[in-house]
Amino acid sequence: MNGFIVENGGLQSSIQDAGRKGFSDIGLTQSGAMDELAFGYANFLVGNPFNTAAIEIALGGASFRAKSEICIAICGANMQPTCNGHSIALWQTYQLRRGDVISFGFANEGQFTYIAVAGGFQTPFAYGSYSTSLKEGLGGIEGRKLKSGDILPTLGARCPVDRRKLERKFIPKYPETITLRLLKGYQETMFDAQAQETFFNSTYTFKGEGDRMGYRLSGEKVIPSATGILSEPICYGAVQVPSHGEPIVLLKERQTIGGYPKIGSVIAVDCFRLAQLKAGGKVRFKEVSIEEAQRATKAFYAFFKEQEA
Amino acid sequence: MSRRYQIASELSVIVYFGNTIDPLISKEVQKAYQALKANALEEFYEIIPSYASLMVSYDVIRFDFHEVCERIEKVIHHAEEITMSEPKIVTIPVYYGLEVGLDLELLAYEKNLSVEEIIALHTQELYSVYAIGFAPGFAYLGEIDERLATSRLANPRKVVPKGSVAIADRQSAVYPTQSPGGWKILGRTPTSMFDASYDGLSLLHVGDQVRYEPISKEEFLRLGGVL
Repeated sequence: MNGFIVENGGLQSSIQDAGRKGFSDIGLTQSGAMDELAFGYANFLVGNPFNTAAIEIALGGASFRAKSEICIAICGANMQPTCNGHSIALWQTYQLRRGDVISFGFANEGQFTYIAVAGGFQTPFAYGSYSTSLKEGLGGIEGRKLKSGDILPTLGARCPVDRRKLERKFIPKYPETITLRLLKGYQETMFDAQAQETFFNSTYTFKGEGDRMGYRLSGEKVIPSATGILSEPICYGAVQVPSHGEPIVLLKERQTIGGYPKIGSVIAVDCFRLAQLKAGGKVRFKEVSIEEAQRATKAFYAFFKEQEA
Repeated sequence: MSRRYQIASELSVIVYFGNTIDPLISKEVQKAYQALKANALEEFYEIIPSYASLMVSYDVIRFDFHEVCERIEKVIHHAEEITMSEPKIVTIPVYYGLEVGLDLELLAYEKNLSVEEIIALHTQELYSVYAIGFAPGFAYLGEIDERLATSRLANPRKVVPKGSVAIADRQSAVYPTQSPGGWKILGRTPTSMFDASYDGLSLLHVGDQVRYEPISKEEFLRLGGVL
């Protein structure tokens, strides 16, 4: 068999691709890589199409043993990866031999790291995706986080390009303070001028209250003028504000429908940056136009599409 | 009926058909949903219907906001001819004991009703399935008697047990799996709402009708319910 055996699943590792599409109408969450940028680069480095299943390691502590020759790339938070005890670099390809063990410590900056393998992981395909939805127990390996003994089969073996390395200028940083571009929502009228001013002029703290579903931010309260709206579909990045007044940014494993007022939506490429924010990190919001929002997100996907061509 | 197109995000547009729970509005949403599903599946990532709105997620490389609105309007415009089938009626057994009806006493206090009166009001209606969402198989049912109408919890629960039968505003629903949630909980059902063995994965589908049937603790346990 080509592939990995999970020696230690760490705090929370799971199989993810870019997410589940087309099942939201029966309530299945989108799921997928929390940071599509690091995920995309990992796949790019090993010569995979953008949407190829990879391992997502949250926080750290995981280790894997190669059952065959495998070409890998590790991108995202620096969890000080080692191969047989020797440090290995992120943001480049690495050729593993049969029996090699790669291990991860804990991230000092960022939250998520991706391991892509040439050819991708051939784990079960569920509802149109390889992604694991942990909350719902669907997809991936039995819908759960990876644990010791799990087998992750792969196709590829040798690296497509000898030591492909990401140019330094492309390597993202994971600062402790970030500004998120927000497209104001259709429920903005439920937030009066003062509430909006508070929202855009405050610095929020991510205290670690959150998971793949969404991140709750603490700080100045933004009180909507009504407690609920008629339940309606929720998009990626939606910032909902329950009556406790603290904004929640909804991410990959969000519910598909909800009834809390929304002040707007954080654009996708900034949601990827938010996903990497560590507990204690600070967030500010900045309003953006639809044209600018679409330009930014379009550029992101067009970049990866070009790499595939 | 007039439709309103609004930006939800840079990747999705929401179309409003109205802003109330109304069987006629819901029918418009369902027709538009079916037409979009049938004609435009390749172009859109997601088409999610709800009570009075429908959201479409799209490829930002292919469409800008104005182009996508025009495309959707063109498809929906032809949806008028779709004929809807007769609703299926599904009975859901519910155990309304205080150990599973976590908010029964709170609601009784708020509404100045007895627990028995709450159960009677909750089981007397034939509800319509207006939307599926929030979680796999989570069906939004309307409308509960206005004497039961209630706000969501100010601080949502981090853990709502699987099978919890709950209400919020004038809606009712069953939590298909353990999840966070802010609706007030009246009881628990042993019936699975979402299962890979079900046709279409979900017990309920938009357009179906539901009746809650009160059962004893013994019956709940016999049917596989978990306390």
